[in-house]
Amino acid sequence: MRFLVAIKMAIHDRSTTAGAVLGVVAIIFLVGQQLSVFFGLLNLMSVLPDHSVADAWVMSKNIRNSDSGNLIPSSYIDRIIGIKEVEWAEPILIGSGLFRRGDGSFEPVRLVGLKRPRITGGPWSFIQNDERALLDLESVVVDKLDLRKLGHPYLDEITEIGEKRVRLGAIASGARGFQGTLVFAPLEKVREISRTPPGRYSAILIKFIENSDKERIVSQLREILPNCSVFSSEELSKLTRNYYITNTGIGGSFLFSTSIAIMIGVVIITLTMYTSVLSRKKDLALIRAIGGRKRDIFVIVISQVLFIALLGIFIGFLLLSTLLNYTLGSQIPSYLPKEVFPALTIGALFVSLFGSLLALKVALKTDPASVFH
Amino acid sequence: MSNLRLKNIAKDFYDGRNLRRVLYQTNLTFYPGELVVLSGPSGSGKTTLLSIMGLVLKPTEGAVYLNERDITNISDNQAADLRFKNYGFIFQQHMLIDGLTVLDNVLIAFAVQGKKIRNDQKNRAYQILEKLGLKEAINMQPLSLSGGMKQRVSIARALVKDPLILLCDEPTASLDAENGITVMRILKRTAIEERKIVIVVSHDSRVFPFADRLIKIENGQIVSDTREHYT
Repeated sequence: MRFLVAIKMAIHDRSTTAGAVLGVVAIIFLVGQQLSVFFGLLNLMSVLPDHSVADAWVMSKNIRNSDSGNLIPSSYIDRIIGIKEVEWAEPILIGSGLFRRGDGSFEPVRLVGLKRPRITGGPWSFIQNDERALLDLESVVVDKLDLRKLGHPYLDEITEIGEKRVRLGAIASGARGFQGTLVFAPLEKVREISRTPPGRYSAILIKFIENSDKERIVSQLREILPNCSVFSSEELSKLTRNYYITNTGIGGSFLFSTSIAIMIGVVIITLTMYTSVLSRKKDLALIRAIGGRKRDIFVIVISQVLFIALLGIFIGFLLLSTLLNYTLGSQIPSYLPKEVFPALTIGALFVSLFGSLLALKVALKTDPASVFH
Repeated sequence: MSNLRLKNIAKDFYDGRNLRRVLYQTNLTFYPGELVVLSGPSGSGKTTLLSIMGLVLKPTEGAVYLNERDITNISDNQAADLRFKNYGFIFQQHMLIDGLTVLDNVLIAFAVQGKKIRNDQKNRAYQILEKLGLKEAINMQPLSLSGGMKQRVSIARALVKDPLILLCDEPTASLDAENGITVMRILKRTAIEERKIVIVVSHDSRVFPFADRLIKIENGQIVSDTREHYT
């Protein structure tokens, strides 16, 4: 019954309730939007290890992320496939070059060379043609969202990367990199463009036989390849993300903007709840006078806060979902893992309760004797 | 016999510089079935006395007895429970809660303690509202009621718990003459028919004819306490 009384009072105080709801909406929407861009960028950072289908990566010693490292010799492949649980081991070669746009200007690109015919580590989702395009030595694949940067090349258009002839063989989706425009090409073509000596690769991707003990095999690989870095794909993804978060200022920047969003929400909630309690002080005094205990006042105020918070969370998520749907497939990298929703809900509830502490303090101090003044 | 007794009650307030006595040692006993008017000029201490009787203010000295039980130093929660069970309050400004209907306002005391409102409590609320001529207003909001209607709702709110004591602070002050008389008639009838202790604080001389007992207070002291017919 106290909850119903609290809700009716909150509904009646439309302007203050709307103000407090706005505070919660601000938290959900602003923090959610910030997090969606943050997670979107995280996906870009570790796009290669996340989508490689490999179980482990072998790269040069002491690497700090998946995008940098020295070349390693092809002879390592023979050692790797000597392990009976290894299903396959395929090299990739990462290089760079200048993509010639239709207007004659150039766009720097990051080349990912894939070994034919398995073409492991390449794009995984296509909107025009498919991975078979990479079986052709001259063919390259780019992401649809990078087409604008590359001067809107059309399918089968012939152009140059690093003065070597290439043809746009397919257009992928979701294959964007954090460090720059990714162009997937056959390994030989990348070697030719980046002038890499034969028998040298950037990484070796390894797939284990199903149901094998991944940790043990990774340890075994570390033993037989002491001059290399060996990571499971998950480890490499985490390493890469951590590297960019801590070394590019992205982590700090997002922490700062998220904190600001939370602070704005807390201030709005605090002020509106405080105003609400002040305007209802007479009612609270009446409730105390006619037999309401402090805990009854506590329940009423907390009920109002929870009502406001849940309403704000609902509206906030509605707006956030609309924004995410709108930005889906756009240049803005936005992605919100489903785990974020309950976390954000709990966070918003906590922040709402925190924001109402001042109001609660005032409410609990309400003097029942004030009804006679 | 049920009663409310004040024994050597006194109250001091700190006014920021000095400790000031606003109520001097007072001894009063109230019995059911009588309407007591507590009268005096502004600042005479009548509201302080009412607050102490209503257990919303603790006396500096003396003791308060309800049915001969000393309730002076009970806890905050115990006081709230006693107010819930034994007291009904009627205020000068009605103090109805906006956003709640007339019926919600009448039943508010049951609602705020988190208890489920029983059917017999609802039926009693309906009966009292009907008796007070508010049957048609049950689902109305306080904002759409006249001053007289609001005061009758606050009376219904006080009566619905069937309390022993009704404490009324200037119940006619914000009403016109006709509504003021109506309210006083209801209070008088309640005192007599329902055997309640009805204490009315007022300096409105229109309420004096309804009093069974008139207590006059000046400068924190009782100056007269008479059981007469007043004009």
